Amino acid sequence: MTHTASQDTPRGVELPPLQPGPHQRRLDLIAVVATFGGLLFGYDTGVINGALEPMKADLGLTTVTEGLVTATLLIGAAVGALASGILNDRLGRKQTLTIIAVVFFVGTLGCVFAPGLGVMLPSRFVLGLAVGAASATVPVYLAELAPTERRGTLSGRNELAIVLGQMLAFVINAIIASLWGQHEGVWRYMLAVCAIPAVFLFLGMLRMPESPRWLISKGRQEDALGVLMQVRTEDRARAEMAEVEHLADEEAESQTGGLSDLGVDWVRRLIVIGCGLAAAQQVTGINSIMYYGTQLLTEAGFTARAAIIANVANGVLAVVGTAICLFVVIDRVARRKLIIFGFVATTTIHGLITVVATVMPAGTTRAYVILVLCVTFVFFMQCCLNAPVWVALSELFPLRLRGIGMGLSILCMWLVNAALTFAFPVVVGVAGLQGMFGIFFVVGLVAIVFLWKMLPNTSGRSLEELEESFSQGQFV
Amino acid sequence: MTVMVAVPDSEEGVRALEAAIAEAGERGTGLVVVNLTLGEIDLADVPEGMACELVGRKGRTDRDPADTVLHALSAHPDVDRLVIGVARRSPVGKLLLGSLSQRLILEADVPVLAVKLTAH
Repeated sequence: MTHTASQDTPRGVELPPLQPGPHQRRLDLIAVVATFGGLLFGYDTGVINGALEPMKADLGLTTVTEGLVTATLLIGAAVGALASGILNDRLGRKQTLTIIAVVFFVGTLGCVFAPGLGVMLPSRFVLGLAVGAASATVPVYLAELAPTERRGTLSGRNELAIVLGQMLAFVINAIIASLWGQHEGVWRYMLAVCAIPAVFLFLGMLRMPESPRWLISKGRQEDALGVLMQVRTEDRARAEMAEVEHLADEEAESQTGGLSDLGVDWVRRLIVIGCGLAAAQQVTGINSIMYYGTQLLTEAGFTARAAIIANVANGVLAVVGTAICLFVVIDRVARRKLIIFGFVATTTIHGLITVVATVMPAGTTRAYVILVLCVTFVFFMQCCLNAPVWVALSELFPLRLRGIGMGLSILCMWLVNAALTFAFPVVVGVAGLQGMFGIFFVVGLVAIVFLWKMLPNTSGRSLEELEESFSQGQFV
Repeated sequence: MTVMVAVPDSEEGVRALEAAIAEAGERGTGLVVVNLTLGEIDLADVPEGMACELVGRKGRTDRDPADTVLHALSAHPDVDRLVIGVARRSPVGKLLLGSLSQRLILEADVPVLAVKLTAH
């Protein structure tokens, strides 16, 4: 869903080791705010799963307007992700994140009190702006404040926080539905809970310092050193200034490539691979399950009340898959192999769900079989195709192409996500689960062929080696 | 007196560099190479003894390669000739990517030597 900040490994800067001290508490606070940024992102994207069913009844949604309510958030997210780059650069990370927390809050209020679609759709769009901007800003900000030694752990923590946020949304929705399920406005309570992490993010951001890297990029060396002194020991802070300057310089360099470079064959090819990989990740339908899991399980044969509880299993397996990915798999399996294996696994499960939904008679057994297949899919997806895809993307683009390459891939991801999210209830309404999963299966086969032919292995080689072979036209 | 050459990541770029080396050699002047690619370029063909300066693209302000060349020109007032490579481009390509050569020919303050691919 989100993207890890590029793994910065500055060359030639020796740093004194991290020492415990009062600054350590500031760093821990950064980690807590980190977790809230990710949780908020996960909660806000996941909360619709469970809220949608009662909202449908209350506001009289059709399959088309249902798709619109879910997808407008994603269109907003695409715009927010693009706009946040400019805001991050002009206003700095701290101010951007504070604004994001306010926008989150406003968007949430709009959704909670929406009397009808006329208010709901714009509010979902506004909420999406914040979701997209947060997904692009939080990991960057964290990576810029965390010391080199903890940077990898922190961006992993963000990934985990996102799926935890989604799981939390599923659990709390299930609880609210059990307690106040008879109220027609129960979905309003569910959406209202989103305001809580937004408030925490806002309060947290007020106490956070600005990113030293941004300060340096604006020529404010003194201020940058001041911030570093808060979160490091003094000798370490002074030593780190050189590293931060180097990274600020690299970041400026990453913004070099522009649209005019698309005229070059190897550049165009890398952009096609990047956008293709991001799109392929979305067409596994992972987010259809994260947003419509409850409806999907109702369609499979559960009662509405059982479906919202069974849906919690999707959230749990997403967390388990992500944890196994981050702690066990990601550093041990070659990137290309892991990603292609992931697509083979998810596509196989899509095929099985299509067969089960077509062949088995409707009933509890079918419902449970589909639930098991569904959570297995979520597990493989999170384990092989979430973080590994983002890491592969950050490794794919040479430094001077990274800004535009990542930007276009992320845009592609949000737009494909939005299109699929809009289409899901409509297709399920017309062709049933078998129709939707049949499409996922076919598209998955196409993705496997595309990646098999195009995706280079990016692990185990330095970024410089990759850059050299790409610019010579070798993509293996 | 110096010759400047714009080297994009294409066949025209290679030709332009060759022509600029020949031009600077003939006129006995130095060479300023503006690297418009996103990687490194090979300067092995520059003869020993020819003063050669390399200018690169870096950062948001250098997104448009034409800007990079025009900035480099104003930073090097001693340049009195700009060498570029030109190639035919489809109208769609021109619309999407703009024309580097056209902007340079129209906006550069020094005479421009345009090298064609077929001339080789």
